[in-house]
Amino acid sequence: MSYLSLIFAPIILSIFIYFFTKQTNNAKYIALALFTFMLYMSINIYMHLPETGYLLLSSFLHVEAFDFNLVLQVDRLSVIMLILTSVLLILVGLSSWSIEKQSAYFSLLIFFCGAIFGVFMSTNLMWFFIFWELTLIPMYFLIGIWGAEGRIYAAVKFFLYTHVASMLILLSFFLIYKQSGTFDMTLIKSGVLTTPALIWWLLFIGFSVKMPLFPFHTWLPDAHVQAPAPISVLLAGVLLKMGAYAMIRMLILILPLQAQKYAWAILLLGLISLLYAGFMALYETHLKKMVAYSSISHMGLVAIGISTLSYDGLSAGVYEMIGHAFIISPLFLIAGFLHHKTGSWQMRDMGGIMQRVPYISAIFVLAGLGALGLPGTMGFIGELSILLSAIGKYGVWLIVILLGSMLSAAYLIWTFRRVIYGEMSEVVKITDFKMPKAEFLSLIIFSIFIILFGIYPQALFDIINQAFSAYATSGGAL
Amino acid sequence: MNIPIIILIFLPFIGSVFTFIVGKIYKKSAFICAYIISIILFSLTVYICISFTQALSFDLEWFSFGNITLPFGIYIDELSLVMLLIATGLGALDIHFSHDYMADERDQARYYSKVLFFIGGMILLVSAKEMLGLFVGWEFMGLASYLLISFWHQNSSPADAGVSAFLYTKFGDIFLFASLGIIFYTTGTLDMIKLNELSSSGEINSQVAYVVSIFIFIAAIGKSGQFPLFPWLMRAMEGPTTVSALIHGATMVNSGIYIVARMFDFYVAAEALVVVAAVASLSAFIGATSALVQNEMKKVLAYSTMSHLSLAFIGLGAGSLAAGMTHLINHAIFKALLFLGAGAVILSAHHVKDLWRLGGLKNRLILVSIFMGMGVLSLSGIPIFSGFYSKDAIIASTLLNPETHGLISTLTIIAALLSIAYAGRLWTLIFVGKPRDEELHVSIKAPSKFWISLPLGVMATLTLALGVFQKELAEFITAEKYHELHVNGLFTFMMGVILVLGLIIYYFYVRRTDLRDKISAQPLMKSIHQILFNGYYIEMMINWFAKSIIVNAVAKSINWVEKNIVDAFINGVVTVTHLSFTFLKHTHSAKVSNQSGAMMLGLMMIVATVLIRSFL
Repeated sequence: MSYLSLIFAPIILSIFIYFFTKQTNNAKYIALALFTFMLYMSINIYMHLPETGYLLLSSFLHVEAFDFNLVLQVDRLSVIMLILTSVLLILVGLSSWSIEKQSAYFSLLIFFCGAIFGVFMSTNLMWFFIFWELTLIPMYFLIGIWGAEGRIYAAVKFFLYTHVASMLILLSFFLIYKQSGTFDMTLIKSGVLTTPALIWWLLFIGFSVKMPLFPFHTWLPDAHVQAPAPISVLLAGVLLKMGAYAMIRMLILILPLQAQKYAWAILLLGLISLLYAGFMALYETHLKKMVAYSSISHMGLVAIGISTLSYDGLSAGVYEMIGHAFIISPLFLIAGFLHHKTGSWQMRDMGGIMQRVPYISAIFVLAGLGALGLPGTMGFIGELSILLSAIGKYGVWLIVILLGSMLSAAYLIWTFRRVIYGEMSEVVKITDFKMPKAEFLSLIIFSIFIILFGIYPQALFDIINQAFSAYATSGGAL
Repeated sequence: MNIPIIILIFLPFIGSVFTFIVGKIYKKSAFICAYIISIILFSLTVYICISFTQALSFDLEWFSFGNITLPFGIYIDELSLVMLLIATGLGALDIHFSHDYMADERDQARYYSKVLFFIGGMILLVSAKEMLGLFVGWEFMGLASYLLISFWHQNSSPADAGVSAFLYTKFGDIFLFASLGIIFYTTGTLDMIKLNELSSSGEINSQVAYVVSIFIFIAAIGKSGQFPLFPWLMRAMEGPTTVSALIHGATMVNSGIYIVARMFDFYVAAEALVVVAAVASLSAFIGATSALVQNEMKKVLAYSTMSHLSLAFIGLGAGSLAAGMTHLINHAIFKALLFLGAGAVILSAHHVKDLWRLGGLKNRLILVSIFMGMGVLSLSGIPIFSGFYSKDAIIASTLLNPETHGLISTLTIIAALLSIAYAGRLWTLIFVGKPRDEELHVSIKAPSKFWISLPLGVMATLTLALGVFQKELAEFITAEKYHELHVNGLFTFMMGVILVLGLIIYYFYVRRTDLRDKISAQPLMKSIHQILFNGYYIEMMINWFAKSIIVNAVAKSINWVEKNIVDAFINGVVTVTHLSFTFLKHTHSAKVSNQSGAMMLGLMMIVATVLIRSFL
């Protein structure tokens, strides 16, 4: 019961918080305290996890006739996601310190927090789906209200696109229920299913949209561009990870036989995304769109890691997921900051930012170097581990990873040249760059993570390896 | 693991951060801090060198994921030690020199911390046991080089130069990254010593070994500025001269040769050395000919660096590890000397780099002219200076090796002889003749003896001393008896060539400048001059390829596909959906933004209900 409140307390409280803090404007303190508490609870759950398998947290709403049991069960993979989510939420909270209409904004964030915890904690497919959809509502409003000029288009596109995908997911959940008689994902045996291939493909498309993989990615650049910078962080750091998480959880752990058969599809889309988005980013002159395409490109790398279906590849993929969250976030935050101050998205209007705000520029460069996979950052570890885990299986195909690496170096270094270095543009000369301290703090924390886990990745891999150790011992047939 | 090595590896990085913080608080302290750290590093290296008995090897683990464990070992043998001495010794001298050279710089903290970071990368590279550690050091140096080239980032051209340095070397790096993956997959180890043994005993598939060695060599091409990835090295001259001396003359550019030397047995077994020699001989020729016509003194030095690194590669490629490595070390010292000498001239001449505005500085910069003269003699391969002996050995080994005998050895000899011409031209144009810019000439003052001339003197002495101890050096590096290779009569031949070339240079550049101008005004000479001056237009070709093919053709068409196919399809769906809501929209007066969310939810519920009905 108590764990149930981790999900429902934020969802319900968010409404009250909105009304209570409307006058006083201190929603951010409440939100930050709550996110910290969530982090504490996630770590707490991690401490109590058994060596392998699930930890049953609570079971609720038991209905005999219909498997609508809200079962909260977590394993290491989901706890990793919980910890990542709560850390990112804290940082998102910090980086939206001076946003307008705070009470609404932060209550939506709190609502989102509850819903996303539901996604990662519930093992009943119905409830999983409900929470999956619930995350969209705060996201929709966060983009639609606090976004930039074209926010309505972006929000609707985001909402519709992910919804259509969700329909496919829902359809396959019903198929699963019809064929196996249960919604509980820990009980589903792929052998019982009569049309596992259909289910696999439906889920695959559904999750590819979320992840996003080519050609289902077009909602993302628009959503990112229009979303306020902290929400971009949330999109890239949490929402995309939902897709990857669900892919590992359902496509690989629940339907291992089909995964073996169709893993080429994940690989193919991963490879295409990596290159395609890399080229898109290379041609892009819109700063935030460039970062968004770079984000897609890195999710392609995650897909390649996952598609190996091996112990190594899954660990590497999850590491890259976390690395991507920490690396891409400061890029989004700084891109948003520069737009906020200069009023332009175009790189040609910027230039010489380093001369005005050296430390923020340095963090941008650091995160960019992380994205292009420089040793000493998380990006390198992710790229290296994915290369090493996949090279045995895919061989020559991994030329794409190398090309992607070259492309990311090209567009990022060229972006540094256009935005950070060089002579100051007219706009930059007259702009007053002043960043609130809390936002700067969040950037500092992001960069500490990038370097810390880049130099000492074992800290993360210790946790990640355990998450898949059961998978490893069973030889991929869990 | 012993303490000095731990300090040696970690101190530069910690020191780099520390220097930055301290330097931000009090500007002057950045130099003191960096200076002390660099001297500590050098003393530690000397200490390790003195107490060295056998190769030090430590196995450490970096991280493990899944079933894969990645090691990060330390291995210091004679080869690494020599490189360590070069890196830390020249690093300390360079920081010493920077005291005056960078005195006017506002942002000293940033400069010194980056230089220390660079030294750290170099130390990491040469003391790594596995290819992984080597790759990390390799990339660290690349980053430091990028940041230091664009040190004056507020100007466009250093910023551009940084971009091209990073991207050209990155192109090589991805091949090193690939070879790391291939090696790890095929052999399960990244230990370079073990790889040498494995390939010597024929346990590695020869095709794989060949591909890997070519890949590694491509990385070396990028880093060491060989054909065709050299243009970045010329651009890199935009950075501070101290940086050019340390990174683009003496240490980082050596790392490509170091990696081939480190995996020498691997290359021998893979039979890839002849490729190394062939590419290098072409680069040697390109570098030497282009150096002849440059107007900027740093560009002359950059092309000569390219040409001399090629000579070291040729030495390795011809099968003589000792010849290649001794040349590398000799080159590191005399090139650092020449770069710093050029730096002294630039500093005294108020940042004028154009050779045609200098001239006749001999009397004003007497010490600098003497030391640079010694560097020029060493670079030209004049006997008793170190450069002669290693060039001699390289030429001899190319002639002896049947694979390189012929075109490769001819190109090598041409490049070696041309070095006399361009080095002589450089020195002559700076120091003798009539001053070409009177106003500038009058304002030139001799630089500080302690901060500027002392490091030059140290290096000039070293380049003389190394000439005496060539054999010992070669034996130390290869740890075996060294059979000196000589070309019979090269000594007298060199003397003759020097005399002739010296007279020619003197005649055309000092005596009869009018005759020189007349010759160079010929159309044929003019076009040859243009080709050489622009480095055979290779940069232009690569840039054209990158810009026209990659960006404006491939990336642009993908951009078109994204807009007109992938996204248009989705937008079409949205439009259809939107149209179907138009009716509903009219019934509500509120905005779409407020309503569409609710409508979506309703729609979803209807669909869900239908689905549930049909499936249950």
